[in-house]
Amino acid sequence: MKFFIYLLLSISPLAHAQKTVSGKITDKKGHALPGANVFLKGTYDGTTSDANGIFSFQTFEKDTATLAATYVGYEATEQKIGLKDNVNDISVKLEELAKELNTVVITAGAFEASDEKRMAMLKPLDIVTTAGAAADITGAMQFLPGAQRVGEQEGLFVRGGSGQETKVVIDGMIVQNSFFSSLPDVQSRGRFNPFMFKGTSFSTGGYSAQYGQALSSVLLLNTTDKVSNNGLGISLNLANAGLNYDYATKNQSISAVAYYGNLKPLFALVKQNVEWLHEPEFKGSSLTYRLRPRKNGVLKVYGMYSDSDLSMNSRDPASESGKTKLDLQNKNSFVTSTYTDSWKDGRWSLNSGFSYSRNNDNTTLAGFNFNRFDERTQARIVLSRLLSGNNTILFGAEAHAIRLKNGFDGKFYDLKDRYTAAFIESEIYITRELAGRIGLRTEYSSILKDVNLAPRLSFAYKTGKYSQISLAAGQFYQNPDYKYLYTNKNLGYERADHLILNYQIIKNQRTFRAEAFYKNYAQLVREFTGQKYDADPYRFPWGETNNAGKGYARGFDFFWRDQKTIKNFDYWSYSTRPSTTS
Amino acid sequence: MMKKTMFTIFAFAFSVCVVLAQNEKYSQAMTASIQALNGLDKTKPDPKALQDIANQFERIAAAEPKEWLPKYYAGYSNVILGFIGTGLDEKDKYLEKASALLKDAEAIAGKPNDEILVMQAFQSQIHLAADATNRWEADGAKFVEYVASAKKVNAENPRIYYLEASSAFFTPEEFGGGKKAAKPLLEKASQKFAAFKPETNIHPDWGKSETEWMLAQTNQ
Repeated sequence: MKFFIYLLLSISPLAHAQKTVSGKITDKKGHALPGANVFLKGTYDGTTSDANGIFSFQTFEKDTATLAATYVGYEATEQKIGLKDNVNDISVKLEELAKELNTVVITAGAFEASDEKRMAMLKPLDIVTTAGAAADITGAMQFLPGAQRVGEQEGLFVRGGSGQETKVVIDGMIVQNSFFSSLPDVQSRGRFNPFMFKGTSFSTGGYSAQYGQALSSVLLLNTTDKVSNNGLGISLNLANAGLNYDYATKNQSISAVAYYGNLKPLFALVKQNVEWLHEPEFKGSSLTYRLRPRKNGVLKVYGMYSDSDLSMNSRDPASESGKTKLDLQNKNSFVTSTYTDSWKDGRWSLNSGFSYSRNNDNTTLAGFNFNRFDERTQARIVLSRLLSGNNTILFGAEAHAIRLKNGFDGKFYDLKDRYTAAFIESEIYITRELAGRIGLRTEYSSILKDVNLAPRLSFAYKTGKYSQISLAAGQFYQNPDYKYLYTNKNLGYERADHLILNYQIIKNQRTFRAEAFYKNYAQLVREFTGQKYDADPYRFPWGETNNAGKGYARGFDFFWRDQKTIKNFDYWSYSTRPSTTS
Repeated sequence: MMKKTMFTIFAFAFSVCVVLAQNEKYSQAMTASIQALNGLDKTKPDPKALQDIANQFERIAAAEPKEWLPKYYAGYSNVILGFIGTGLDEKDKYLEKASALLKDAEAIAGKPNDEILVMQAFQSQIHLAADATNRWEADGAKFVEYVASAKKVNAENPRIYYLEASSAFFTPEEFGGGKKAAKPLLEKASQKFAAFKPETNIHPDWGKSETEWMLAQTNQ
């Protein structure tokens, strides 16, 4: 009996003497961290560090214990300490958590618009509100440094490259005809509603190995995961009328859009230097369905159909009457479905997609009939793995089946291309300040019967708390414009080499960015017509062609944005670039 | 035989003793920290004292991995630290920490818990307020979702109505908020508070005085 009482007493904590644990808690550079939590794991013993990072507390624990330290914004640490006697002068050093503000990001050549990332230069709303962009995504991108405004043609023109050299990619899938078919002297709008997207990234060069078939740049658009409002909406302005309907439940949602546009009332007010016989009239509809079958899995299906109809007399000094009549009817459809998911706390993620697009242009120019038809089916899968220390590795593949037809006054040309690509890319953080991205892409095109190998490399180094420099280099291949392949099947890939050096500083809602670039073109298709250059986008290439074209573009871009000093002040950008291509 | 029985009885008594001691230590530590938290000046809490209290809760949470309350209170303290923090970066640090703590609490509780959901709604409300122009859409949706889920678990929780009321109270009139819009919600919250009894004296029991203060403001 006495034995038990003795046992009880001996176990009682009061039977032991208290010991003092003390020391100092700092960051890696030795700066004191006041307010940090220091304690012995599994016990109630601990304290908060004072203004000088000093801590001291008493404990009844004996032998050994685990001293843990936590501080907001820093990684927690643990260390074993012996408790035979008082322990003084313990030095605890904490490392800052990796986050956007203290970790370098690879930025050379890319402009991002995002609500989620604080370092993004633009917000999605900026795209809608950019003056002069007419709420058109590509319209807004044209105001960024590196892009050019070309009023009379379709496409995004980047650093001296043609509109063909920029690809528009929605959720990873290449969009075949992202613009309404263009006409001489008339700028064309993009087909997509800016409110559809949650994130936009516009690269003016040196982009990731995940994308190909673009000598100059890619415009990456990511669609939103859910609808923001439920119900029916109506929009009406001088040029068009639209109806949209959204319906969402917890795990799925559907959005339907229909619109009709006619530029007649607008053109009646705004004098045009084009003589319209039938003002542009367009109608379209789209349907989006989203399903969340699992916690992190999202399935999206998007389908759209649009057509346009117009007729005009354009000025033509070469013809007798001084004008040429042009009629154009366009029908376009695009269906894409993507599935994204992630497993194991986001360590593995999957992006996959399948899409089909079809476009038909029926054109009559000066009495001649042209028909263009194209069709693209594509599939894509990308798997990425998040490794320790924010390093990532991803690999993926894509396959496209492309069919084109071109008719000229009753004569038809037909083309088929099977294009496949595989890529691997890794982002490596050597330190928080220095990161690199290494990628390799390989492509095969059945029509060119050739394989290419395109290495891509970027580095970024954080030079200060708010500034960083980055460098990007890489090779980019693109199939020649298919119209040249109708008559010459011996053409090979066109190539561009990019070298970009970028400096940026973002502080207090002010952004400054300077970029120097050099772009070398090789193996470009050259056509020998024996005549002067003809800018008509509809002309059929009759001349002899080869891959002997080359050239370069180089220059500087500056971008400055101040949202702090003057409210609602937007950005300005300045670019200079001498370039030649032959 | 007798000896063996005695031994069993003593061993049992001893183990109960240890468990009771541990339990007592837990509720004592919790009570002390909750009192310290309630003792802070509500309109202008001292960040240093509050940080110390947040640390106390976190230490209890580390020692009692099966209790969700210490994580909950550590989360609550960090939400307030986020609210009084200076600059967006500092605010976000605390609010992100609060969000992580509440996630832990959720996992420990194991099933939908109205108090944790209310605290998550509170966290998104303060996160929204830190950068309203850029966050109202995403955080506003989150707030509504948490509030709805909390109502589903326990529609009698008065803090749900307090949060709804405060959200209206601090929203400018031109966006459909203001004192007038908040008044009926505050009255409802006040009714629910009158009927509310916390499960134990360490279970959540805040928001009543704030409701009364706001209600007094709307009556002016």
